[in-house]
Amino acid sequence: MKDLLRLKTSLNEEIENILNAQIKVEAHSSSVYLAMSSWCDDQGYDYSADFFSKQSEEERKHMMKLFNYVNDRGGKAISPEIVNIPADFESFRGVFEQMLEQEMYVTEQFNNIADKCIKLKDFVTFQFVQWFLEEQIEEEYVARRILEMFDVIGEDGTGRWEIDKHVPKVSYEG
Amino acid sequence: MICPLANFEEVYKTAHGAVYQCSRQNCYWLEFAGSTTAFKVGDFLDFKKKIDAIDISAMIIDSSRTADFTIVMPFRTPRCFVLTINDVLNLRELLDGAKFMITLNSMVQACMKGTPSRVA
Repeated sequence: MKDLLRLKTSLNEEIENILNAQIKVEAHSSSVYLAMSSWCDDQGYDYSADFFSKQSEEERKHMMKLFNYVNDRGGKAISPEIVNIPADFESFRGVFEQMLEQEMYVTEQFNNIADKCIKLKDFVTFQFVQWFLEEQIEEEYVARRILEMFDVIGEDGTGRWEIDKHVPKVSYEG
Repeated sequence: MICPLANFEEVYKTAHGAVYQCSRQNCYWLEFAGSTTAFKVGDFLDFKKKIDAIDISAMIIDSSRTADFTIVMPFRTPRCFVLTINDVLNLRELLDGAKFMITLNSMVQACMKGTPSRVA
């Protein structure tokens, strides 16, 4: 019997589902960072507002990279529904703590995808996911470095103003 | 009625219906409740997901008359499925079996060609 399934898609159903779930995670991250950008702007942290706005754009690019991959391999990418995006945050420091937690969660998800790829012998997707895993090193590093500034500079006096000014300068050299 | 030009093979059959594959038009035919419906591969898989997603428990618990039936209208087919709880269970059994056979066929083909199976 002709193999219609293989003609339709090169993606295993489980891989397609897990990638669609990751598309949703990236879209959620993008929306959360946009909310953080708005909060920072409202609180007068201009540099951080700009930083989170750029982060939001980057997460959307990640989402589209996954989205296009699913479609290119014959799968069906699903445009995700995003709900429960917070509009308010506890503190300036709390925003970056949440960012780090979000990035660690994303890393964990990509680890799970890589694990699934190996189990299902989908080395093409495994190779594709490598880019994201490498990207996560930078994402976590930046969030952690910014958090460290809260201890190094301190939040008293003009501390938060100083931290805000230094946020865009944090970069990962690799 | 199945297209007379179709070159179809039985994929899976139960007492309540059958799924056939047409290798000429690359589609599946679902025979259920006295009529047949053609699905493209992607549409067939989507249809199965829709049937799997029906909340049987909610249908049983809900005492309103409208909860005795559920309506599924797959895109790109002229068919409207009005399903009772029994129908949903029968259709699920049929689609599960068909999906299993389709997957198995894919694995067998991959083994015969000596390529790594895309299906675990």
